Amino acid sequence: MPLINQLLANGLIAGAIYALMASSFSLIFNIVKFMDFSPGAIYVLAAFAAFFFNIVLGLNFFVALILSLIIVSLAAIVINKSVYKPIRERKGSNFILLLASFGVFLIVTGIILLLFGAQVKTFGLPIEKGYDIFGALITKTQILLIVTSLVLFFFLQLFMKTTKLGKSMRAVADNREIASTLGINVEKTITITFVIAAILAGVAGILVGIEQNIEHSMGFIVVIKGITASIVGGVGNVPAALLGGFLIGIVENLGILFLPSGYKDAIAFLILIIFLLFRPQGIFGVKTREEVSG
Amino acid sequence: MKEKILRIENLEAGYGELKVLKGINIEARKGDLVAIIGPNGSGKSTMIKSIFGLVKPTKGQILFKGKKITGKRPDEIVHYGITYVPQGRLVFSTMTVEENLEMGAFILKDKSIVKERMEEVYKFFPELKEKRNQRATFLSGGQQQMLSIGRALMLKPEMILLDEPSLGLAPMAMQDIFRKIKTINKQGTTVILVEQNAHLALAICNKAYVIETGRIALKGGKDIAKKQKVKDLYLGH
Repeated sequence: MPLINQLLANGLIAGAIYALMASSFSLIFNIVKFMDFSPGAIYVLAAFAAFFFNIVLGLNFFVALILSLIIVSLAAIVINKSVYKPIRERKGSNFILLLASFGVFLIVTGIILLLFGAQVKTFGLPIEKGYDIFGALITKTQILLIVTSLVLFFFLQLFMKTTKLGKSMRAVADNREIASTLGINVEKTITITFVIAAILAGVAGILVGIEQNIEHSMGFIVVIKGITASIVGGVGNVPAALLGGFLIGIVENLGILFLPSGYKDAIAFLILIIFLLFRPQGIFGVKTREEVSG
Repeated sequence: MKEKILRIENLEAGYGELKVLKGINIEARKGDLVAIIGPNGSGKSTMIKSIFGLVKPTKGQILFKGKKITGKRPDEIVHYGITYVPQGRLVFSTMTVEENLEMGAFILKDKSIVKERMEEVYKFFPELKEKRNQRATFLSGGQQQMLSIGRALMLKPEMILLDEPSLGLAPMAMQDIFRKIKTINKQGTTVILVEQNAHLALAICNKAYVIETGRIALKGGKDIAKKQKVKDLYLGH
């Protein structure tokens, strides 16, 4: 059945992007405890920055990639310091933070619209011939996309598990106040987490940019899919985000077998609703124990 | 007389409009085991949190070995050689026992010293060694308290602050923990112990304060337990 194989391949490609976005959301959720929309903005920003450096300025692609990732890292630092940190210090609720992040998302994508206009842009790469793998056509870029996602994910895990910085990020995510009593600079750790999350979302945006095309409105749907993937995996569980991402990608593509392709996005929403109703802690999530206080 | 290690003078602190501490004076000398007892809501925890910078004092000062530490951040205070064992066995539940201990030594740069200290903690709490690769969430209450204390021992502090270590523990585990606290103190660490369980705390301390509604109501040595007022209010006989 080549159709199924093709849909599976398409699902893997989409899933690779969702997995990157889901890990970006999960990292941030873990450490600041709210669903932050800004990775969606970072995703768009990175794609346009890469387009600007690579196509408009004509710089080498890898130089453009590095410059774009630097730009999104700086953007993430500015967003955290100028918007989220003041709200945190005023003890604003997570709902306020979520709304603020939605504001950030609209502002950033609005600025991109102002600067680049509304028309779709492409990196203008030559049309590639796909490889035939089990009857599914996959291009080199698409393979690169899946591999990059998996490799980044692997290094993220390694970083979180084995380095002191990664462990201190987990400690701050677990209990900010206790982490601070051990000498961990909480604000610095939060900043670093935002930068890592921005790099993940940024790479996703650039990969999608070269594989498909870019427009200022490309961020919203990926926010929904990424958040869905992180909820399906188990919110805040970064390894599970990978699984959630691929699951959403594959299910929504296989759904085309049964539903008109226009319903593809609706499938992700359906999965989101089902999980929120019946298993809000996600596939791998553990119900968090209430802490004793008194 | 040994040197004064901690001096709290006229400390006032609270949360927003609510004033919890209304002028507290406390003193500890090197090697003391100071018990601070008092009913729920008297301000004991607020007091210990103010020492560690988790609550900002509004008035008064806190001196550690003659140096002013009032208003400093927790991540600065730990560098003075003070560590803190929070109320409610707040270990990092998503991390392993070993990782929890590593985090206790966060400010140490030398990895070999961290390893050494970890072995010392395992020797002190052998149960933790058996569970070193398990996530802290799977430990029993008593073991979590051991881990929480072990984490605070990683820096070999000069002074350790314990906030209600008996809370929520089974009687046996409670006895164990208090024996360990006494041992830590005997090995030279000054201990500030905030505790609602006056029996346990007064049994191991050499100095005691009773806090009531944000003020020191009584102070004295171990024999404070003999005072009629303390008997009536906290010891229930």
